[in-house]
Amino acid sequence: MKKYLTVINVYWQRALTYRSTVFAYRVGEMAEVLILILMWSSIYDKQDVIKGFTLPEMITYVLIGNLFNAITRNFLTHIVASDIKEGRLSTFLLQPISYFNFILSRELGRLSVAFLMSISSQVIVILFFLSKFILNSDIIYLSVILLMIILAFVSELLISYLIGLIAFWADEVDGIFTTVDRLRKFFSGGYFPLNFLPPIFVTASFSLPFAYSFFVPAQLYLKKIDISAGIRGIFIQLIWIALLYGIIRLLWRRGLKKYEGVGI
Amino acid sequence: MTIIEVKNISKKFEFYRKQQGLLGSFKSLFFREKLYSDALKDINFNIKEGEIVGFLGPNGAGKTTTLKILSGILHPTSGEAKVLGFTPSKREKEYQKQFALVMGQKNNLLKDLPAIESFVMYRDIYEVPEEDFNKNLEELAGLLDIKDFLDIPVRKLSLGQRMKCELIAALIHRPKVLFLDEPTIGLDVVAQKNIRNFIKKYNKESKTSIILTSHYMEDIKELCERVIIINFGKIIYDDKLDDLIRKYAPYKLLKITFNENGVRKEDVEKYGELDGFTPYSCVIKIKREEAKNTAASILSSNLPVDDILIDEIDVDDVIREIFGR
Repeated sequence: MKKYLTVINVYWQRALTYRSTVFAYRVGEMAEVLILILMWSSIYDKQDVIKGFTLPEMITYVLIGNLFNAITRNFLTHIVASDIKEGRLSTFLLQPISYFNFILSRELGRLSVAFLMSISSQVIVILFFLSKFILNSDIIYLSVILLMIILAFVSELLISYLIGLIAFWADEVDGIFTTVDRLRKFFSGGYFPLNFLPPIFVTASFSLPFAYSFFVPAQLYLKKIDISAGIRGIFIQLIWIALLYGIIRLLWRRGLKKYEGVGI
Repeated sequence: MTIIEVKNISKKFEFYRKQQGLLGSFKSLFFREKLYSDALKDINFNIKEGEIVGFLGPNGAGKTTTLKILSGILHPTSGEAKVLGFTPSKREKEYQKQFALVMGQKNNLLKDLPAIESFVMYRDIYEVPEEDFNKNLEELAGLLDIKDFLDIPVRKLSLGQRMKCELIAALIHRPKVLFLDEPTIGLDVVAQKNIRNFIKKYNKESKTSIILTSHYMEDIKELCERVIIINFGKIIYDDKLDDLIRKYAPYKLLKITFNENGVRKEDVEKYGELDGFTPYSCVIKIKREEAKNTAASILSSNLPVDDILIDEIDVDDVIREIFGR
């Protein structure tokens, strides 16, 4: 256990040496949220309700959803893929630590800085729009949301790790990663609430892991879906996590065989 | 005590051939010709406790592949390797805590942080107790003289300083077996010498078994009594370095200096093949067993000899000759 804490600690320090980069990313994030709010405000100019959303609800959706997204996001794919492609994986194979655990602790360490700054920048934007922001202080809803976000963080990590492992077979994973990333954003409700679309899309996104890092918890926050739907969602997340973990184990074993065969 | 045992190891790699050009790229999307290359063919050797063995061979001969098999990165296609009684490819933690692999071209240090942070990370990854760590670090840092730059980010260090830190990171868990893959590559002469001296001292004090590969003959000459030469995946020599010269260099060199009167080329040519000539000095290649007699007859001739020296052919030349075949 201690070794993982040390890795987290070391990568936290490393992230802190890149303060300005971390900060630069936040500028773009804040700008994106502001642009979305600007867009919705002008769309709501002539009407009060669109597909059941009032303007304050929509602004809250954008703000809280992006906060959840900031918490659950990661950049693991590139790290895993380049470790494999450039042969750095070898050094992990000969140390008494598993690569999977190392990468996860490392990502926790790295994220903690980006993460804290990301949350604070989103909170600043929320404070800025506080008059339009709907507050939810229902402790049951909030605890379901918290659990859902933690699980979404884990499943997002697993998805990124999984895509990174494709580097065992493909020469590069950027294409796959970008495609998955766009689909992920769409199915997570990051572009607009999914109930703007025919119901089939909502049904589909409930059975995919992506919506749990944005759309579902935001809907819960707005109390547009009830708690039982939230709990059902958590079970779906757990199934996804188990499934992803299983696939990762399988791909890892097969990939390693290939890695050895080619002798990268 | 035998520490490393390699029995009949072979390793095949898969690869694909792609025809040249765009059309070839399209073809290879649907059909690829699978080929195999033999990186190692039936390799056998043993290494004892405290021994330093030099691995020699041109690029692609199989040196790194052998080290990767011994570290458990690669599975051998056939044959068996045992290090400290473990089978490396099983990747048991107990084995991993007892060896280290240092590759001169790869870095294991976090380059954005001071080296000490990496040392601490490896301390915990290898589960080294705090006291042992402090003692080891104190000793290693002293031997390599790095105390001044322990707290400077690694990317600001020179290549030589970085290599010293890499070595310490690899030795922080006191491995019983050490694989060094070109540890002095790219370093200047002074830095090379420092690293060499350190390896020598460390080996003497800790009885670590070491396999060293290097393209610098100086490293091998100074550190290894025994060498294993690999070429095209086969071991072609495994014995003392001195014997290598005796076995593969049937000639000795007679280096003669003449006084100010000088000599003519044809006067010395009759003693043997000239390897260099000026009127005041020359080098003659002479069959090993005739060296003494020839030297004597040159001395007793009326040539104006000032000094005469019987020397071995340089080991670099011997090795170049072996690989050139």
